Amino acid sequence: MLWRSSARHLAAHPWQVGLSILGIALGVAVVVAVDLANESARRAFTGFAETLAGRATHRIVGGPSGVPEELYAGLRRAGIRGMAPVVERDVSLTGRGGRTFHLFGVDPFAEAPFRTLVTSDATTAVPLDTLLTRPGAALLAEATAARLGLRRGDTFSILVGARRQRVELAGVLTPSDTLSARSIESLLVTDIATAQELTGAVGRLSHVDLIVPRGAQGEALLDRVRAALPAAAEIVPASSSARALEELSRGFSVNLTALSLLALFVGVFLIYNTMSFSVIQRRPLIGALRALGVTRGEMWLVIMTEALVLGALATAVGLPAGIVLGGGLLRLVTRTINDLYVVVAVTELVVPPTTLLAGAALGIGGTLVAALAPALESTRSTPRAALGRSTLETRTRAAVPRLAWCGVGLLIAGALVLALPGRSLAVSYGGLFTILLGAALLTPAATVAAVWALQPLAGAAFGVLGRMATRGVVAALSRTAVVMAALMIAVAASVGVGVMIDSFRASVVRWLESALQADVYVSSPSLVTSRAEATLDPGLVARVREAPGVAAVGTQRTVRVQSPSVTIQLIVLAVAPRGYRALTLKEGDTKTVWATFADGGGVLVSEPFAYHRRLRSGDRVRLRTDAGEHDFPIVGIVRDYGSSEGVVMMGRGTYERFWSDRSLSALGVYAADPGAVDALVDTLRGVAGSEQEVLIRSNRALREASLEVFDRTFAVTTVLRLLSMVVAFVGVLSALMAQTLERAREIGVLRALGLTPLQVWKLTTSQTGLMGLVAGVLALPVGSVLALVLIFVINRRSFGWTLELELTPAIFVQALALAVGAAVLAAVYPAWRMSTSELPSALREE
Amino acid sequence: MKSTDPFPPLSTAAAVELSGVVKVYREGESERVVLRDVDLTVTPGEIVVLLGRSGSGKSTLLNLISGIDLPNSGVVRVEGVDVAALSDTERTRFRRRRIGFIFQFFNLIPTLTVEENLRLPLELNGIDGAMGRRHAVDVLTAVGLGDRVASFPDRLSGGEQQRVAVARALVHDPALVLADEPTGNLDAESARQVLGLLANLARGAGRTVIAASHSEEVAALADRVLTLADGRLVPSR
Repeated sequence: MLWRSSARHLAAHPWQVGLSILGIALGVAVVVAVDLANESARRAFTGFAETLAGRATHRIVGGPSGVPEELYAGLRRAGIRGMAPVVERDVSLTGRGGRTFHLFGVDPFAEAPFRTLVTSDATTAVPLDTLLTRPGAALLAEATAARLGLRRGDTFSILVGARRQRVELAGVLTPSDTLSARSIESLLVTDIATAQELTGAVGRLSHVDLIVPRGAQGEALLDRVRAALPAAAEIVPASSSARALEELSRGFSVNLTALSLLALFVGVFLIYNTMSFSVIQRRPLIGALRALGVTRGEMWLVIMTEALVLGALATAVGLPAGIVLGGGLLRLVTRTINDLYVVVAVTELVVPPTTLLAGAALGIGGTLVAALAPALESTRSTPRAALGRSTLETRTRAAVPRLAWCGVGLLIAGALVLALPGRSLAVSYGGLFTILLGAALLTPAATVAAVWALQPLAGAAFGVLGRMATRGVVAALSRTAVVMAALMIAVAASVGVGVMIDSFRASVVRWLESALQADVYVSSPSLVTSRAEATLDPGLVARVREAPGVAAVGTQRTVRVQSPSVTIQLIVLAVAPRGYRALTLKEGDTKTVWATFADGGGVLVSEPFAYHRRLRSGDRVRLRTDAGEHDFPIVGIVRDYGSSEGVVMMGRGTYERFWSDRSLSALGVYAADPGAVDALVDTLRGVAGSEQEVLIRSNRALREASLEVFDRTFAVTTVLRLLSMVVAFVGVLSALMAQTLERAREIGVLRALGLTPLQVWKLTTSQTGLMGLVAGVLALPVGSVLALVLIFVINRRSFGWTLELELTPAIFVQALALAVGAAVLAAVYPAWRMSTSELPSALREE
Repeated sequence: MKSTDPFPPLSTAAAVELSGVVKVYREGESERVVLRDVDLTVTPGEIVVLLGRSGSGKSTLLNLISGIDLPNSGVVRVEGVDVAALSDTERTRFRRRRIGFIFQFFNLIPTLTVEENLRLPLELNGIDGAMGRRHAVDVLTAVGLGDRVASFPDRLSGGEQQRVAVARALVHDPALVLADEPTGNLDAESARQVLGLLANLARGAGRTVIAASHSEEVAALADRVLTLADGRLVPSR
């Protein structure tokens, strides 16, 4: 009978149950979606990296221009086997949406021990002689070729850096399983000589893969190889580059996961709200059942079983919704990873059972945890007390100071956790969530205070009805407090993330304004925005220098070099006289830094670089040069938002002393007449001609393009911020509906006393509007604290950047409007139902 | 008080007049006839008590008179106004101006103080500020609760709450007071007090009262007692 009563109670409140399920389901969906997107991107990346590395254990890497081919030949002549040369580069198709590919040039005769890409297993359909002898001959995955509509013998164009090249599809790769299929779908495989020709790196290799056996034999082999290496080259473990890149994007993934947990945090609050409501609504029934002899344990079991059913249903809805949402998020996540870290095609959402299990555990476990307190509350009541609604409200009001003190305690605890030295993101987020919980516990006290302050105003403006609207919020505190806390948290999260993005953007804008000093920028198209490593044609550079209207030219060369066994980004600058303003020094002696930087052997490092490696001005950074490893003194730390992994900056003079590479990646052109920049852009476009793909952009255009990348990076954050709000809105709707419907009898009395439907509507919406307003006002300081933590703790610990706090009034106004709007909107349906309900039945309601 | 009255009483009209009133409720597939062809005329100032078993239709009859519910057929006139002919908003305005309600479960607004519960109908009728406050306190004093004006309803006993409800029903000077089981939830002593107040205040001001009740004590106050049985009204005395 007890179960039947429980089931009928749920069935009698379909809207409430439905909305609760929706709220939990959305929370679960967001967490699952983020995890799936992160995991799919990670697996795609590692799968791709593993496919490329094959069974290689080590690799020989060189400087900016790679490893000389003679080295490989010399090692082979010396009798060393188990080696395979590789030439690789990201390229893009011209046309067909500019899809990116990884050009992978290999020696088919050396490949067998390493990879199965061009061995007999995978390439039965590939005549090796064609691949080796036909200029531009390349292989694509069978599925990719089919998708692009390419057949054997077809030719197509690719963009390699700034150069357009013709490629012929010589055959297709037919992988043995789906995992391999995914890993090779964005590979363009050629013979090594073809790759060298296509990339313009004849005589050079990107690296040489090695298979080194374990133990003394392997060590001896490594010693032999090392002895033969030139100063510019070294041996690194094959997995190091994959690990380094994975490490780089870890901060990004952790932050996404934290944002998704925020949505779940709001979701769990709403579950607590729903379950509390469900218990509160049934207090008379529970009292009656207890009076009839139902034990506390039996009552507890009923409530917890209800929670289990709700949690299970919501999880069943949330998991598939998460998979669908994950597909959408994957595109955004992949775009950001491609923009910031590495080009990798992630086309398929991987759904690991562990993610689904974790999602289910969160959904069901979260629901059960949230239901624990209301279930205990229901069992603690004596049969008589359970019958009285006023008992509950009195008890709730009495608990307000206690809750407030707990809140203050949690705020202090959270602040202390954040103040702990260390860089752990998990600890930082722990502190952040503790602060949020503290703020939530302060909500009832703040609500009572706000209503106390607003009541005279409402009374003066709207009379008794105004007082009713304000007092109603506190009179039903057991119901209103949780929903207001949930709304407050959601809006605070929106404010916090909004202020953080705004501050970040404003810092980037200010940095771009100072960093982009030249009038026009000439560069090769880059597939990873933050890694512009493609080079410009030397002839073009000379023509630009001599072009009419050019006053001065600054140059930039971006390369990746080894900083013992880790690849780092080195930006080599020849700064034009006006260009030094581009570098904003965070640390270092301004009097000596520029001279030492330009030619004196000193380097500058960006904030993230210094932060990740715990470096200060005056320390040294070891780089592998063409002449071997060298320690460069750090003369200053500069502000740079261009790369989250951080960069080392070096003067051109210093670079040319240590490296033989003379290429350039970009030019910063200063106009003789700063008023004629557009004309200069046109002139330079004419100078560049069409033989090479070159980007020639004015200062403003480059700034806009940079900000476009920034906005793309934060698109996923914005989506998650919106989803948190949707979860909160569903919760508020559910709570307000339940609360308003519960007041059916009171509303009926008011109608009998002469309130028109419009007045009832106004009363209900003004009360919920007030709840939204109070939650919104509370959310502003909480959101600001959240923003401070995100900007000065989380962001710093994730990336090492210093951001300037930017408080845009619009965000605060939007937050208030959002809170009030959501609350009023959520009240529209219940208010309409109340104002149009059948009066006789409303009066009969108990 | 407001000088303009959208529903001026017709001097010759009966306070309440029901003719051929039928009320049927649908319950799933079946229909339940609650009132069958009911005729009733109540003269101004008359106190009428409706007796009848639970579910006999007493509350339904009061709801039809107040315009809270509408008949399936027949006419309900209050002070000459055909209630069913009014729009929902007009009916609400008519009710707020002309009718005072007393419920079995008091139905005071829990978020308003005792005084504010009385000022609500006054404000709805356009009487607010100091004048409304003074009048509310006067009426509360008349029901013996002048010292509880600032209390919230949950601080009052059942008898006190129902005295506030009586005061609320009368505070805006309605022509007609409808009381649904006004003593149904009170002990004998409180019931006597409430009935005494209702009779004195209503008779003193010449108001018409229609009360639904099981109680013979309530019936003892009446000028006329009617019994509802099988959906029809029959005079008891």
